[in-house]
Amino acid sequence: MKILKDKVAKLSFVALLITMTAAMFYAPTASAHGEKSQAAFMRMRTIHWFDLNWSKDEVAVNDTMTLTGKFYVFQGWPETVDKPEVSFLNVGIPGPVFIRAGSWIGGQLVPRSVSLELGETYEFKVLLKARRPGDWHVHAMMNVQGGGPIIGPGKWVTVTGSMSNFVNPVTTLTGETIDLEHYNLDNTYFWHGLWYAIGLLWVAYWARKPLFIPRSIAVESGKANTLITALDRKVTLGFAVGTIAIVAASMGSTNDKYPITTPLQAGLLRGMKTIELPVATVKVKVEDATYRVPGRAMQMTLTLTNNGDSAVRLGEFNTAGVRFLDPAVSEDESGYPDDLLAEEGLTVSDNSPLAPGQSRTVQVTASDAAWEVYRLADLIYDPDSRFAGLLFFYDASGNRQMVTVDAPLIPTFI
Amino acid sequence: MSASQSAVRSRAEAVKVSRTFDWLILFTLFFVVLGGYHIHYMLTGGDWDFWTDWKDRRLWVTVAPIVSITFPAAVQACLWYRYRLPFGAVVCILGLLLGEWINRYLNFWGWTYFPVNFCFPSNLFPGAIVLDAVLLLSGSLTVTAVVGGLAYGLLFYPGNWPIIAPLHVPVEYNGMMMTLADLQGYHYVRTGTPEYIRMVEKGTLRTFGKDVAPVSAFFSGFVSIIIYFLWHFFGKWFAQTTFVSSEDF
Ligand SMILES: [Cu+2]
Repeated sequence: MKILKDKVAKLSFVALLITMTAAMFYAPTASAHGEKSQAAFMRMRTIHWFDLNWSKDEVAVNDTMTLTGKFYVFQGWPETVDKPEVSFLNVGIPGPVFIRAGSWIGGQLVPRSVSLELGETYEFKVLLKARRPGDWHVHAMMNVQGGGPIIGPGKWVTVTGSMSNFVNPVTTLTGETIDLEHYNLDNTYFWHGLWYAIGLLWVAYWARKPLFIPRSIAVESGKANTLITALDRKVTLGFAVGTIAIVAASMGSTNDKYPITTPLQAGLLRGMKTIELPVATVKVKVEDATYRVPGRAMQMTLTLTNNGDSAVRLGEFNTAGVRFLDPAVSEDESGYPDDLLAEEGLTVSDNSPLAPGQSRTVQVTASDAAWEVYRLADLIYDPDSRFAGLLFFYDASGNRQMVTVDAPLIPTFI
Repeated sequence: MSASQSAVRSRAEAVKVSRTFDWLILFTLFFVVLGGYHIHYMLTGGDWDFWTDWKDRRLWVTVAPIVSITFPAAVQACLWYRYRLPFGAVVCILGLLLGEWINRYLNFWGWTYFPVNFCFPSNLFPGAIVLDAVLLLSGSLTVTAVVGGLAYGLLFYPGNWPIIAPLHVPVEYNGMMMTLADLQGYHYVRTGTPEYIRMVEKGTLRTFGKDVAPVSAFFSGFVSIIIYFLWHFFGKWFAQTTFVSSEDF
């Protein structure tokens, strides 16, 4: 019994130590490839990122690059995810390997959360300044309150140089230019050091005399009051008065040194500027859609009707950032990430130009390993097995129009 | 060894053993408090303590003292009633801040590269020293709770102001005004902490104009009084000796 007790005691001590260590080593998680583990319907039916462009593949520390593009806030936003009424344009990188020098939606700076409207398309830009060398996967990303992070496509970018050269100069409204990377650091260490020393002094004062056993004996024999001497009281009073004096004096001198301070700024930004895409003149009706598990291909039967005044061809199907192109119609010139680009992934049974006023039913196949790699095929295991995406049509002079599709998906396993 | 035989043979030896015990107990107390208190504070104070762009005049001022007076109250109860030692609160803060600094320096900075001037911990010393001093000078639970608890809440913001004031200097950034602290939060990307999670400057204390920090501090002080009482009794309960049967000695 005694041995068992000892064992339990020992084990609980070990557990305590582990928890302590775990707590000390807590670090905010820096996620890199969460994109694949996110439910497929989240990626297909929430924010559709398109026209993405990473301005550079390689950046030196202190240099900047941009991630630009557009996103369409899907009209058929899933019921299970909160609407993007409070959203934050983020960037998916492993911690501050870049600093976000700026981010804009429709030309408006968005350091705070914004309200987005379903069915609208927005233009965005993120300006990144390289800080830490390495190969980093840089993702477009939108955080939605109640919905979590919605991770868009990512591309590898190499940062070269040395982090010790990184500087972050900022000019304040009081006319001072500071380096935000190191600003206020000495001041922070000074005050923390000073107060820690005062705290140690306080404990040391008491620890210079015998602590636990003799004092416990004295307390138990009713002589507790003899343990506190007149000197103890004086010293204590000194610590209390000294503490309040230091706080008051340091607060006063701080206010003299920084007469102008403002509260933290917060609050939702509304009324983001949207972009008007050319009105789609092609009507698309999804007759049926199946996903062939062994072939890693999605097949749709679409009835296309051209109500416009120029002949069009289907050039691209984009879902969850994966782009399936028909090379005869559309090619990527932006350096889109390879793993997300199926340059010959789109096959249309009859992709001859669809003349104005004409209607045609076609078989469209989107096939690529990306279905598996990006776990989009997992869609068939989702509670609401629907797919969604963007179709891009082009006319002979290169005008593009975007049509969204949203329909049930039936898997076939043979 | 039978219980009637003593382990020491002289007074000098007894003093030496007693002193050894002092250091052993103090050392153990320090690290156990460090562990428990650190976890507690990370779970309850969390982001308010982690990031400068959470250290506002309303919620940080209110939350930090309330959730951090817990362990000091409990450890004070144990050390005061058993040993008449008045350093319970300061020992807790010494432990907590050592743990915080190790965490911030090694993990936030060393591992994830957030600048230390963005993720340093809050200073809790002034309140803790006064809390210990009031306990010794009054020797009373009620006075310590009321006077000490209130002081703990009130001293928090001014005790941190010299450290955070430089970060509350405004900047104009691409046509918007923000503080340097806001800018740190914007620049140093936290993928998992979107801006809307940030709970700052929210509340109903709008009628006090811009002097909201003192009001929040008073409110925090009042709640700290209640939390002090509560955790004082937890501490007292834990410091009981009824768990140990006298036969073992
Ligand atoms: Cu990635």
